[in-house]
Amino acid sequence: MSMAGRFLGGAQDRLLPAAIPFRFFVTAAVFHLLAWMVLLLAADEVAGFRGGTGPVLAAIHLLTLGTLAMTAIGASLQLFPVVTRRALTRNWPGHFSYALMLPGVALLSWGMALHQTTAMQLGAGLTCCGLLVFVALTANNLRRASSIPVVAAHGWLALATLFVAALLGVLMIWGIELNILSNRSGLAITHLTLASYGFMGSLVLGLSLVLIPMFVLSRSLPPNPGWAQLGLTALALLVFSISFVSEFPGLIWLALIAGFGGTGFYLWQMAKILRSSMRKRLGLPFVLIRASWGFLILTLLLVTAYLAGLAIPNAVSLIGFVLLAGWLLTFLCGVLHRIMPFLASMHAAGKSGLPPLLSDLTAEGPLMLHAVCHFSAVTLCGIGIVADQSLLIRIGSALGVVGAAGFATFAIIVALKVRQGPRTS
Amino acid sequence: MSFTRRTAQLLHEDHQQTIIVIEALDQLIARARKKAPDTNDPIVRKTLENASGAIEEEISQHFAFEENQLFTRLEEMGDVSIGEHLRGEHRALLPLGQAVGTMARTALANGFTDESWATFLNTSGELIERMFAHIQKEEMALLPALEDLLDAETDIELSTAYADSH
Repeated sequence: MSMAGRFLGGAQDRLLPAAIPFRFFVTAAVFHLLAWMVLLLAADEVAGFRGGTGPVLAAIHLLTLGTLAMTAIGASLQLFPVVTRRALTRNWPGHFSYALMLPGVALLSWGMALHQTTAMQLGAGLTCCGLLVFVALTANNLRRASSIPVVAAHGWLALATLFVAALLGVLMIWGIELNILSNRSGLAITHLTLASYGFMGSLVLGLSLVLIPMFVLSRSLPPNPGWAQLGLTALALLVFSISFVSEFPGLIWLALIAGFGGTGFYLWQMAKILRSSMRKRLGLPFVLIRASWGFLILTLLLVTAYLAGLAIPNAVSLIGFVLLAGWLLTFLCGVLHRIMPFLASMHAAGKSGLPPLLSDLTAEGPLMLHAVCHFSAVTLCGIGIVADQSLLIRIGSALGVVGAAGFATFAIIVALKVRQGPRTS
Repeated sequence: MSFTRRTAQLLHEDHQQTIIVIEALDQLIARARKKAPDTNDPIVRKTLENASGAIEEEISQHFAFEENQLFTRLEEMGDVSIGEHLRGEHRALLPLGQAVGTMARTALANGFTDESWATFLNTSGELIERMFAHIQKEEMALLPALEDLLDAETDIELSTAYADSH
């Protein structure tokens, strides 16, 4: 391990070998590209999608498991040891989790696209094993946490919801074969909600409390709003799941109110952090991050309108699209834009023996291309879904492919620059 | 961030002061871009005055304290790498801070030429980029590590010595 590579490390070894987070990040960027490609091929089926196997479901899982979960795992494995001030006990489970996830997600998506039950079952099995390794590794770290308990508690909620979401996913895939599940749509919506708002959402909400202040160099926040955000989010997820699985729809309004409350506390804290930011020029990543917060609000408003009976054409597809491609994907791309060069600077060697500049470890052109194409793609696909216009969805998806290619170029360039530095074991 | 150890809190406050100066420098560069600014402008003068004194003085004292008092203690605890990495960044930052300080003093006396502004722009740009990343690393990794490293007695001793040296 290089001198720079041992930063945060040494005896405590809180910096993982670069290979662990970067292979998750680069793979996420590649699955991101594949997700838009499959969506492009399936453009005719997107607006009317109501579940079931096929290319749209494959695109959704390339995005959720391939892109969002891969990013979340890579980031969590690196960030939780720093947040908790406790090193991971071993590095090999990180590699093992990746080795299971990569073929698992590929096989699962392949099986979904081509209606191949065996491929889906095998893929789901491998993916769940990879996720289980991640859950065990992170739980062991959170158990020993000595600082920032509110962030660690968000981590626990994320792990718990991931476990249940994965279980429901496996149940549904085996249910296709055995045909034993009676409330499939309730299970599917609960699975999506726990995976997106639960697993990904809890990580976004929790790690934002650490990452956003660090990015913008702001003053510290009191912990109580963070606990309120966590409590309301957990309540919303629990009540939502009960209402769908038990087919008791009245409870969903309580879940929605709690969801608005948790989101309100989160956004209030984010606004406070930005107001006390000591940096004025926050750059392109914060264009993405701020926009993602807008998409989060839009998602909740769309859910409210849908439940209130407002006639929004293809509302279910629209809500799913804004949730996944609008909120979560936009947020994670913004965060990766910032943390990949930052993390690379701790591993890469600079000229003349001095640490490298962050600007030497990034690729501004491809990132700008991604941002422009991403926003255009989300807008056009969203309009295409509402207007039931496959052509708009096709053009939007094509722009999504171009943007994702730009982002993958950035991720590969950063990873190559890390590889060019001294080996980090 | 807020810290329970006074030493960490003092270093954090130093960071905030440095960010104010560096941020003002960043704003100056963003406003002026390739055209040399008028050094008779009060805002430009104030920014250059801060850059000429505060950066050089602040970072040299701050860096020396970290290297002599904190990194050595971390190394004694077996945590060598934080100090090694941050020393490397100090080696890059200190000459940049000194160069910007010297150029700012010259500009306050004689104004900028196109050539001296271009040099100032490049050197300040590198200082700003390196300094923001450096502070982020210290805020995320070094200062939290002090919470575990320092006992109450050592914390008082170190923080008092550091406050007296300012």
